[in-house]
Amino acid sequence: MSSLAAAIRNIAGACVLAGLTMLSSPISAQEQTQQPATTIINPTAQGVTEQQLLQQEPRITGRIIIPDKRAAVLIQPAGREWRAFHEIALRWIAAIAILGMLVILVAFYLTRGMVRLESGRSGRTIVRFNAFERFVHWMTATCFIILGLTGLNITFGKKLLMPLMGHDAFSTWSEWAKYAHNYLSFPFTIGVVLIFLMWLGGNIPNKTDVEWLKRGGGIVGHDHPPADRFNAGQKAVYWIVVLGGAAVAISGYVLIFPFYGTDIGNMHAAHMVHSIVAVLFFAVMLAHIYIGTIGMQGAFEAMGKGTVDVNWAKEHHSLWLEKEVKADKLPEQDLRSTPAE
Amino acid sequence: MARMKFLCDAERCIECNACVTACKNEHEVPWGINRRRVVTINDGLPGERSVSMACMHCTDAPCMAVCPVNCIYTTDDGVVLHDKDQCIGCGYCFYACPFGAPQYPRLGNFGSRGKMDKCTYCAGGPEPTGSKEEYEKYGANRLAEGKLPLCAEMCATKSLLAGDGEVIEQIFRERVDQRGYSSGAWGWKTAYGEEVSKS
Amino acid sequence: MLIKRSDRPVRQTHLAAFAEGQGLARLDRRSFLRRSGLAAAGLATIGALPLANMRKARAGPPPAPGATVEIRKNVCTHCAVGCTVTAEVSNGVWIGQEPSFDSPINRGSHCAKGASVRELVHSDRRLKYPLKMVNGEWQRASWDEAISAICDKIMQIRGTSGPDSVYWLGSAKFTNEGAYLFRKLGAFWGTNNTDHQARICHSTTVTGVANTWGYGAMTNSINDMRNAKTLLYVGSNAAEAHPVAMQHMLEGKELNNANMIVVDPRMTRTAAHATDYVRLRPGTDIPFLYGLMWHIVKNGWEDKEFIQSRVYGYDDVLKEIEKWPPDEVERVTGVPGAQVEHIARLFATEKPATLIWCMGQTQHTVGTANVRTSCILLLLTGNVGKPGTGANILRGHDNVQGATDVGLDIVTLPFYYGLKDTAWKHWSRVWQVDYDWFVSRFDSKEIMEAPGIPLTRWFDAVLLPKDQVHQKDNVRAMFVQGHASNSITRIPESLKALAKLDLLVVVDPHPTTWASLSVKAGRKDGTWLLPACTQFEAKGSRVASNRSLQWGEQIVKPSFEAKDDLEIMYLVAQRLGFADKMFKNIKVENNLPEAEDILREMNRGSWSTGYCGQSPERLKLHMANQKDFDLVTLRATSGPAKGDYYGLPWPCWGKPELKHPGTALLYNTNLHVMDGGGTFRARFGVERDGVNLLASGSYSLGSEIQDGYPEFTYGVLKKLGWDHDLAPDELATIQQIGGDKADAVSWSTDLSGGIQRVAMKHGCLPYGNARARMNAFGVPDPIPVHREPIYTPRVDLVAKYPTRQDEVQFRLPNIGFSVQKSAVDRQVAKQFPLILTSGRLVEFEGGGEETRSNPWLAELQQNMFIEINPADAGERGIVNGAWVWVTGAENSSKAKVRALVTERVGKGVAWMPFHFGGWFGGEDLRPNYPEGADPIVLGESANTMTTYGYDPATGMQEPKATLCQIAAA
Repeated sequence: MSSLAAAIRNIAGACVLAGLTMLSSPISAQEQTQQPATTIINPTAQGVTEQQLLQQEPRITGRIIIPDKRAAVLIQPAGREWRAFHEIALRWIAAIAILGMLVILVAFYLTRGMVRLESGRSGRTIVRFNAFERFVHWMTATCFIILGLTGLNITFGKKLLMPLMGHDAFSTWSEWAKYAHNYLSFPFTIGVVLIFLMWLGGNIPNKTDVEWLKRGGGIVGHDHPPADRFNAGQKAVYWIVVLGGAAVAISGYVLIFPFYGTDIGNMHAAHMVHSIVAVLFFAVMLAHIYIGTIGMQGAFEAMGKGTVDVNWAKEHHSLWLEKEVKADKLPEQDLRSTPAE
Repeated sequence: MARMKFLCDAERCIECNACVTACKNEHEVPWGINRRRVVTINDGLPGERSVSMACMHCTDAPCMAVCPVNCIYTTDDGVVLHDKDQCIGCGYCFYACPFGAPQYPRLGNFGSRGKMDKCTYCAGGPEPTGSKEEYEKYGANRLAEGKLPLCAEMCATKSLLAGDGEVIEQIFRERVDQRGYSSGAWGWKTAYGEEVSKS
Repeated sequence: MLIKRSDRPVRQTHLAAFAEGQGLARLDRRSFLRRSGLAAAGLATIGALPLANMRKARAGPPPAPGATVEIRKNVCTHCAVGCTVTAEVSNGVWIGQEPSFDSPINRGSHCAKGASVRELVHSDRRLKYPLKMVNGEWQRASWDEAISAICDKIMQIRGTSGPDSVYWLGSAKFTNEGAYLFRKLGAFWGTNNTDHQARICHSTTVTGVANTWGYGAMTNSINDMRNAKTLLYVGSNAAEAHPVAMQHMLEGKELNNANMIVVDPRMTRTAAHATDYVRLRPGTDIPFLYGLMWHIVKNGWEDKEFIQSRVYGYDDVLKEIEKWPPDEVERVTGVPGAQVEHIARLFATEKPATLIWCMGQTQHTVGTANVRTSCILLLLTGNVGKPGTGANILRGHDNVQGATDVGLDIVTLPFYYGLKDTAWKHWSRVWQVDYDWFVSRFDSKEIMEAPGIPLTRWFDAVLLPKDQVHQKDNVRAMFVQGHASNSITRIPESLKALAKLDLLVVVDPHPTTWASLSVKAGRKDGTWLLPACTQFEAKGSRVASNRSLQWGEQIVKPSFEAKDDLEIMYLVAQRLGFADKMFKNIKVENNLPEAEDILREMNRGSWSTGYCGQSPERLKLHMANQKDFDLVTLRATSGPAKGDYYGLPWPCWGKPELKHPGTALLYNTNLHVMDGGGTFRARFGVERDGVNLLASGSYSLGSEIQDGYPEFTYGVLKKLGWDHDLAPDELATIQQIGGDKADAVSWSTDLSGGIQRVAMKHGCLPYGNARARMNAFGVPDPIPVHREPIYTPRVDLVAKYPTRQDEVQFRLPNIGFSVQKSAVDRQVAKQFPLILTSGRLVEFEGGGEETRSNPWLAELQQNMFIEINPADAGERGIVNGAWVWVTGAENSSKAKVRALVTERVGKGVAWMPFHFGGWFGGEDLRPNYPEGADPIVLGESANTMTTYGYDPATGMQEPKATLCQIAAA
């Protein structure tokens, strides 16, 4: 249990490190101590002991003549604590976050059902996301899903998949999964950066959001609090994507380029940040997926086709629609999208 | 059944690196892979001690626990081995290992570190004993020939002990009793969860 | 795609299954302990158990199916500890190394170098075929072409400048047979300019120690140090230079709770295991040792009985001791008075005590005086000639002791016979060549009997004006077989000489820095590189530090076009036209002289040193039965060699049939001479100025003469009435040798061995029974005195402790005094305030080209560096690992190296390892190497920075104390 506690301590520490300075401060065992004042020097009696060193520092580091400075760390008992994190704490966190979210969503769906268009479809549509925006979204989303699943494979695969697939097949799959995870990190990062730049304007929190939040976003009941292009919920998703994406990306690159200016302690921290942020991120994104698909009628079209029904816009993004109308962006008649109903 | 362990008596280690080159020689380990290494603490000061370190073949090995593909296993002799065909080179074993034992062919790797390599306790790997494949992937299998790891067998000062844990523990204890000082059985507690018991 | 090898057997079980069969089950407790290497305290005896039940060894790359694996034993070539190397050979390929558990010397152990020697043979960075330099390019040549072109050139030089203009630089890497043959080659060529690494290693030891008590070698053995209660290391870093020796030292330390005292300017890896560490200023060993003696005499701790019966010159030394009270010792050495007293007490009162030294003492302008002072300390405390005592002088190269003994030297013919006509006549008889023919080979009889030029000064012999070189002409050709150039000081000077040489021949497994520096010097022609094989590809005997001879088998045939050293010497002799004479008694097959025959010839002529009893058959018997020898005494307790000491440590008197066991401890009067007992050698006469030089009331066990006695001659035998014990054939030989002066035929010139046999029959040492000399009259500074290094930071001490006056030594002027005076006058110490000293790394050896070409070793030390104290580094803005420029006091020398900031060196001292080469003054010389033969690791040579300074008695260089400055690069 103490190792678990230590792991949690580490996690806390790791989160502080979240920005990941990446600048290591190698602890030198060479810290210069003065020669003893006595004239008799007895190196046998003055020999350092393992016990004494481990009481002073969390790990024992010395000098090594090969250029691989990682090798200068002689003993790092923290490896066992990291193992406890990886094998126990992380599994619990991930399981609770992901399963918990699924349970909530299922419960919500069962109680609330799909949020329907109250006024029905108008038959007129308005462009909500242009092709570039949709491309960026889907690129990021695809990468995210693959990254998420391959990431979860590293944590849960050997428990869940290996018994099904067999050892060899699972290894082969995992190796490909690792490649996918490493290489897709790049388009994912680009996507996050573009998302950040592209939608930053619409996602600065303002007073509208307060009102929107006060009214619970209209999710419960049939309220429709006014919202601009992005409501507070969407803004939250945006910031989670941007900040969470940044955290997983930065910590991920530390992991992909191991020991570039980092030491074993930084690597542990990077891994902890990466894995915790990733599973929470994944859980939040489940909710995002839910609301964008079966959770709300007409929402998927926004990212699917790029256009939404004007009535949908009116209900969910009234302020945005007003601006669009003022800006004369609303087509007079859009017969192409006349609904069947 | 013997439980194989390593014990480095730092009162004897002189950082001569015989263990390092013996390992290279026996297994033809390539440049950049250091299955065994010697670290010097307080280098240049009167309290200086050197310790030869490799995979300690831990009890309840952390590497084995964290390996996402379960490619690491323990033999009946307590030797921790791995299957390179299953290793995906994720590097987790290095994070978990208290002794920095796992090595990867590519250090500054992007994408892949290559298959993990580490001390096999001169016990080869999962391929048929004495086969060419076993030698090429893991090195010689001395244990199967009734020999101990070459690093310990060639240690200049008999500092590095290898063999059945109880036996080497006894030897170490007798040494300490005889000379009256010791800087400890380095890594023993971390690896095996126990100190060398007092006699 | 996802499926692979699903039919593979379950892996976890196979080892277990194997164990049930025959693998691990065989690893019973005994084998286990043995394999764990264990002769720990209480388990010491178990270490000697025979290897039981082990399967035929097979490691390394698996041999081809059905191929047999052979075990061959040779001896490690990397230091003089003498570790046995056990090789597994299959189909002519060296496939693996196994621990040599049976060897009493290394008991399976190796250091980094020994554990990686297999690579030396396989290395693809070796010279593969002869190369010549043509217009600045290396070109492949054939052996025939090379030998004829080289020999023609040296004949031409001989014609115009005489035989002394060709310098024959041999090697401590040779076997005894090779070294002996190389010296013989020099003698047949007609020069005494034949030298090898001992010059820069222990020449001062050999001279200093031999002039004290008779023989210039380690008195005891590494194994015997297990008996010591106090071990005093003055100038030895055994942990890095002789790592396997540390096994015996540390076990001894633990078992006896011994005092291990390390005196060194650096807190070395040896010091890390000491019970006392003393930091002294480089070059002040003599004041420190006298400081110890001051306390010993003051407290009456000296061994009065020993001095009274076995020592000469005590009163003379006392006067010098009195000059070193504690405050003066502290002023000069920097060692606190209390520490000196503490060490003096331990050394004099906790016996047996031994003094261990190495390059730290020998490599100084006062090297001979240093070792003489050490000997005096041992004599003063009676710590000679008993187990656990003695001068345990750790030799460097694997056969530097042997190569010295067999006379690859400028001052003597083989086995210390000297160069006088009596010596030449002795060897003429052994070689069965007319003495007058030898005289005709030399420029003059005078030069034939004059010591040659030390290798430390080969470039001075090239560069100095002709009238300052006391031989017919300057040196014009260097024939270098197995010697580094970067281990010699003053590299900038040697660079000038390289440009001037008519011919440079380098015979070596690697191109060495001779090649890279010669190109740097601008040589475009007249340079040859000939590939010699390693000693693992040859057979022969080599002498470990403890004087044990070990026979090495050929492990594999020479790689590529490399040739055995012996073959190369034969080819040269043949081309020079004296092979028939030189190989008169040596079988030669396919141009390869037989090593066994050469050893037999040595046996027939080496009476003076007791190399006469070590026949090849006896040596091979020892190698085959190593397990029978005791770990501590080195004596076989059973088996066919029962009673012998391991390797028949010389002196091994008489003919092989006499079965003298060898001498494990020199001068041990507690044993009968036929058990390896001995006395101090009567080498310097019987009295001097009315004072007796022979022992008084001390004699070896069982001696019929119970007092001192002179060396044995036929005349002495007659006086004692022991001549009747001579066999008729022995007498006939004596009379044939002596002619009308048969009485003068001595134990060392009697080729029958009769005089030795008879003397020993009466329990006497053939060489007599004398006193050891504290006053070594005849040697420069017979009572050692302190002299400041030529370049010293303590200019205030130079007036009181100046170096010796300028003088012509070894055919060349030694102007040390002028250089020191000039340095003081020019205030060099202000410009270069740091003391620069040098030393060894465990991973590399000597000049290092061979070891730096071995990837297993090169990986461990990839950069040349300089150790600098944090205080000095701080003052200069130098951080650990950064590049720095080191500048030196001569020739505007400079070197670019990395800084290692460490407390290992004291403030004001910097230290460099001397194994690097291939850079010069910041320039990487890699392009100068023949393609593919460049070592993996290159770096600046420490000797680029070292400076003038030569020991007056031996020509030893000064790489251990000079001055430098360091600046961030």
